[in-house]
Amino acid sequence: SGELYCSLPNPRNVHFESINMKNVLHWSAPEGTGDGVLYKVKYSVYGVGKWIRKPECRNINRTWCDLSRETSDYEEQYYATVKAFLNGMCSDWMETTRFNPLTDTKIDPPMISVSSTEKSISIILTAPEKWNRSPEGEPISLLQVYPGLQYNVSVLNKKTKKRWFFSVSNNTLVVPWLEPGTAYCVSAQIYVTTPLLHSGFSKEYCIDTLKDKTA
Amino acid sequence: TAGNKIFHFGPCRISMSMTEIRSGFTAIKANIQARDPIRTLSILSHPHSLHKVKSSDRCCITYHLFNFYVDKVFKHCKTEDSYVNRKISSIANSFLSVKRRLGQCHEQNKCVCGQESAEKFKQILANYEGLNVISAAIKSLGELDILLDWME
Repeated sequence: SGELYCSLPNPRNVHFESINMKNVLHWSAPEGTGDGVLYKVKYSVYGVGKWIRKPECRNINRTWCDLSRETSDYEEQYYATVKAFLNGMCSDWMETTRFNPLTDTKIDPPMISVSSTEKSISIILTAPEKWNRSPEGEPISLLQVYPGLQYNVSVLNKKTKKRWFFSVSNNTLVVPWLEPGTAYCVSAQIYVTTPLLHSGFSKEYCIDTLKDKTA
Repeated sequence: TAGNKIFHFGPCRISMSMTEIRSGFTAIKANIQARDPIRTLSILSHPHSLHKVKSSDRCCITYHLFNFYVDKVFKHCKTEDSYVNRKISSIANSFLSVKRRLGQCHEQNKCVCGQESAEKFKQILANYEGLNVISAAIKSLGELDILLDWME
């Protein structure tokens, strides 16, 4: 295929970085090569015979390539491969390990909204959306992708420093029997039992319970 | 036990230690898949994906697949790595108990096999027999997440 003589060092650490199924291929430049290295990217569906070129990542000098669209069917698994070029020389094609979008993606923490009464706070949790092929299209919540998705919620009484943990499956939680006129801070994490996935905890959202009108 | 999941296949109800199987497979996935250099063939997902199976055929396909993994796959997956071998035998033991329960459902006619599931499983066997035994067994083991994803 008119391949050049390939003695250039290989791209290193070719791997997918995936967050909420936005699947981006990353790699490191070949050892010892300065500027001027260009790259080509191909990908393949596991079990299907051919490598497919990614035109938008042909002769690029950056070391990443967004393959979210090409790997958006999470019932399939994928490989990707990268080749480097410099001054008429080239490297070998360097492949990823097998990429399973369903189990190999990372999940962002949930979004939280909090409201309060005198003695309770209400928490509404929203799972992040799956990366979307067409921004105008119908957003897909990760809840639809992972039906077993649950939320771990932490509630901290800022005055007493007492903390409670709750595990809920639906997206609302009301915490009763709280102290009026007190600051409480809430943070939450997504937890999927199988496949085993969990997000980090969200940043804390603090709110005061209303003052006791009778006091 | 923790991480057990009840699968409902019509009248057939099976409890499975899914979390245990998943974590066992995750621990050896990179090692096993790296031993399978064949990108262009799959045992479970091509040419016909498991995901196209009708719900009425799910029990029978699951029954056949657990028999397949216990009888044809795990026994041919010895590696030189004792850690990997321990994980494989732990997964195999979990599959063995599920295979028995599915077998009971099958005997009690709660896991009926139709034409389509027979065709589907025949394709899977053909994919398997298209490779030498060791390559086919390692490839099948490396595709365990495809089976688990489909089941869930």
